[in-house]
Amino acid sequence: MDQHDTVVSMLGITKQFPGVIALDDVTLHVQAGELLAICGENGAGKSTLMKILSGVYLPDEGELWVRGVPVRFKTTRDAEAAGIAIIHQELNLVEDLSVSANIFLGRELRTSLGFLNERQMIQRSQELLDSLECRISPLSRTGGLRIGDQQLVEIAKALSLDASIVVMDEPTSALTESESRRLERVIGRLRSQGVTIIYISHKMDEVFRLADRIAVLRDGRMVRTENRSAASPQQVTGWMVGRDISNAHAYTPRIPGERVLEVHNLFVPWPGHARGYRLSGVSLNVCRGEVLGIAGLMGAGRTELLETIFGAGPQKWSGEILLRGRSVHFTHPQEACDAGIAMVCEDRKRLGVFPNLTVGSNVSLCTLSRAVRGGLVRRRIEEAMVAQSIRDTGVKTSGLSSNILGLSGGNQQKCIVSRWLLTQPEVLLLDDPTRGIDVGAKAELYALINTLCRRGMAVLVTSSELPELLSLSDRIVVLSEGRVTAEFNRNEASEQRIMEAATLGAFNRTGHELPN
Amino acid sequence: MSPSDSSFPGRSLLRSSEWALVLAIILAVAITALIDANHSYYFKPLESARDIARNTALLGIFALGATVVIIAGGIDLSAGSMIALSGTVCAATMLALAPAEMIGFKPVGPLAVVTAIGASLTAGFLVGTLHAWLVTSIRLPPFIATLATLVGLRSFARALCESTTASFTPTKSALINVYDPFFKTVRDNVWISVAVFGVLALFTWIILTRTVLGRHLYALGGNEQAARLSGIRTDNIKWFAYCYGAMTAALAGLFYVANESVAAPVNQGRGHELNAIAAAVVGGCSLSGGIGSVPGTILGAIFLRVVIDAVSKIIKTGADVYEGLIVGIVVVIAVTLGQLGHFAAGGRRLLPGSLGLCAIPTLSIFCGMIISMTAGARVGLASGLAALVLLGILRVWESRRF
Repeated sequence: MDQHDTVVSMLGITKQFPGVIALDDVTLHVQAGELLAICGENGAGKSTLMKILSGVYLPDEGELWVRGVPVRFKTTRDAEAAGIAIIHQELNLVEDLSVSANIFLGRELRTSLGFLNERQMIQRSQELLDSLECRISPLSRTGGLRIGDQQLVEIAKALSLDASIVVMDEPTSALTESESRRLERVIGRLRSQGVTIIYISHKMDEVFRLADRIAVLRDGRMVRTENRSAASPQQVTGWMVGRDISNAHAYTPRIPGERVLEVHNLFVPWPGHARGYRLSGVSLNVCRGEVLGIAGLMGAGRTELLETIFGAGPQKWSGEILLRGRSVHFTHPQEACDAGIAMVCEDRKRLGVFPNLTVGSNVSLCTLSRAVRGGLVRRRIEEAMVAQSIRDTGVKTSGLSSNILGLSGGNQQKCIVSRWLLTQPEVLLLDDPTRGIDVGAKAELYALINTLCRRGMAVLVTSSELPELLSLSDRIVVLSEGRVTAEFNRNEASEQRIMEAATLGAFNRTGHELPN
Repeated sequence: MSPSDSSFPGRSLLRSSEWALVLAIILAVAITALIDANHSYYFKPLESARDIARNTALLGIFALGATVVIIAGGIDLSAGSMIALSGTVCAATMLALAPAEMIGFKPVGPLAVVTAIGASLTAGFLVGTLHAWLVTSIRLPPFIATLATLVGLRSFARALCESTTASFTPTKSALINVYDPFFKTVRDNVWISVAVFGVLALFTWIILTRTVLGRHLYALGGNEQAARLSGIRTDNIKWFAYCYGAMTAALAGLFYVANESVAAPVNQGRGHELNAIAAAVVGGCSLSGGIGSVPGTILGAIFLRVVIDAVSKIIKTGADVYEGLIVGIVVVIAVTLGQLGHFAAGGRRLLPGSLGLCAIPTLSIFCGMIISMTAGARVGLASGLAALVLLGILRVWESRRF
């Protein structure tokens, strides 16, 4: 590699979060004027690496060099001053301000008297938007724009900083086909002006259309960096998933019973979004004593599917859900609960744990009425009930009255599973149950799922980790952009085939967009 | 408040922060006993205790309601107006049932009294239902919903008072006098209101610590999303909380009528909702929900009343002038003391940057003016200067330390 052309060097970057190593000794060189694609599965560390480059996080270890000078970005301002701008996956715009106010937020242009120089900001914004083929007024309210236009506002903001290095974190994940094409043209124009672009994506068609080089991250490590001409999409997906599957537990065949839950042609609308739906035409079924895995990338609709079944979804839906052969339409989780469905939510901290309650109260919450005698909760019955349940799931705690936040992530998750097992469900919905928990706790959860399944429970499980799904599931349904793109039996499924089905979306996305 | 002492609600009767409140109450009483020139705590202990008990019971009754609403993650700003409405409904009902007796200052009979009390509590239930509906179905923030009723209910009570008096008495009036012996008995025997407060406190404590409903109230306030996803009918829990808040205020309204022998919707209970919220907050409630207890609120109410009483004893002018000031200062100090640990641990500063610099003279001027109004200009000036110097030293110490 020619050292003179290297504009950014990240050397030996390591970043830990409580319980997880997000990045482990990652080294990356970016050359001036190139478009470098960074690929990897969910949780591979792509976004964390870019957040370090743009000053959102400080690395625990490692060095960052920009244009041959070692730098240490404490804030995004520091990175912006060095000409690095990032366009986050979740856009950072103040929805109630105008487009031009957003573009110059925090760096407002002023007149000689110190008042806001609206005219100049509007004019500059207009020029920037024009150069991006963006036909919106700088005066329009940002929150009222379509996602694609909001993203261009972010890009305009980056350009107003005269950024020479622009990081784009999965920019097309919320865009329609024509908006994606427009973004590609914008990228082309930026490159002709000499801007270096780092492009995060896991969509192979995009990556191979745009990139000069491709870097692949897996489990927080840099697996490989390759010129586009020297790689094929199959190879890259292979590098993304190809890890040793050593943590797979021994699987002995299970014999599924009768069908307990069926979903037919489920359609969940998504008003205001370019795609128009969260889920469309989803059909699946699960039997007693069977684990059905649901695979899909971020935004594929896994959580929405489980929430809709559980009666917790935000939208009205159409289609049919049959529980034990009877059509059901839950409007509140309590109804699903009474009908024998339990759901462990994806975001444990936000949707699962009650931080102000003890371990015991967290576990007994759904079934507290069983401990009631004469209108009052009997502490002894409650404690016996909780103690039994957390013994079954293997929660390690110093006592039932200790604070739940004092437990490790894995033990917190086991508490939530205990809470639901006390309701004696027939169908258990697990939304990414092992996210952010350590390997030991994961193994225990796998064993628990196997035991429950053998007792006749039907389990639907989603996961962002494919090896986990492969080792847990009897069958796997793959979702991509709200649609089922494949279904595999255990013996047909492989990481490669699932990943290919999960990244299919971009090709069959037509017919749902409005003309700009 | 650290997360660890917000555990199993009611496992032990008092937590450490509540023992601190007990200590603060004893200290306030002792200081008053020493400084008060009339030494009324020595010479008239029973009378002094009765005064404080009456006021504490009156505040405590609806502070318990405020506690339940706050634990459930909401806020009820309308309690003061609910007090006025409840009193007016009570008096207006008696006036409608027995106009001749009410006008002639004669007993109205037990049936009319019971009906009037029932009508007041029903009014509380209806207002609570209105709040819950506004918050859950219309999705108004609780602050907005109860701000609207704070303004609206008092006006409604005044209109009700005028139209009832116009119908049943010769002239319309902004107040209705109540002379029934039942209300006189309640007024003359302080311990009735204290007993009602005690029973209500016990009832509330049992609900919060020993029932499924109570657990669900804490769960709702702690994490509303998770509560819904755990199959809790959060809307119904909120309905209960707002009804409890409004009905305790309605109950308090009856005691206001008894104590003042009049239903006067123009001013009765005006601003008292904030005292109730203050009592709950001083007692350890978190306004973000999920944390709080009945013993804490009782102690908070006692503390507020003791401090107000202390100031009125010491400076001897009408305590009502200074009541708001005292409540404000007590709330700020109580919550700040609760957070001091976080300040030290998080490396946060009390007086950071130019804002902290500006806060030093601001606080000193306030301090000096308050003290010069109560204890004379010279003492005031001295205290103001002392505050300036002390805060200056704190500022210098902080900037050296961090």
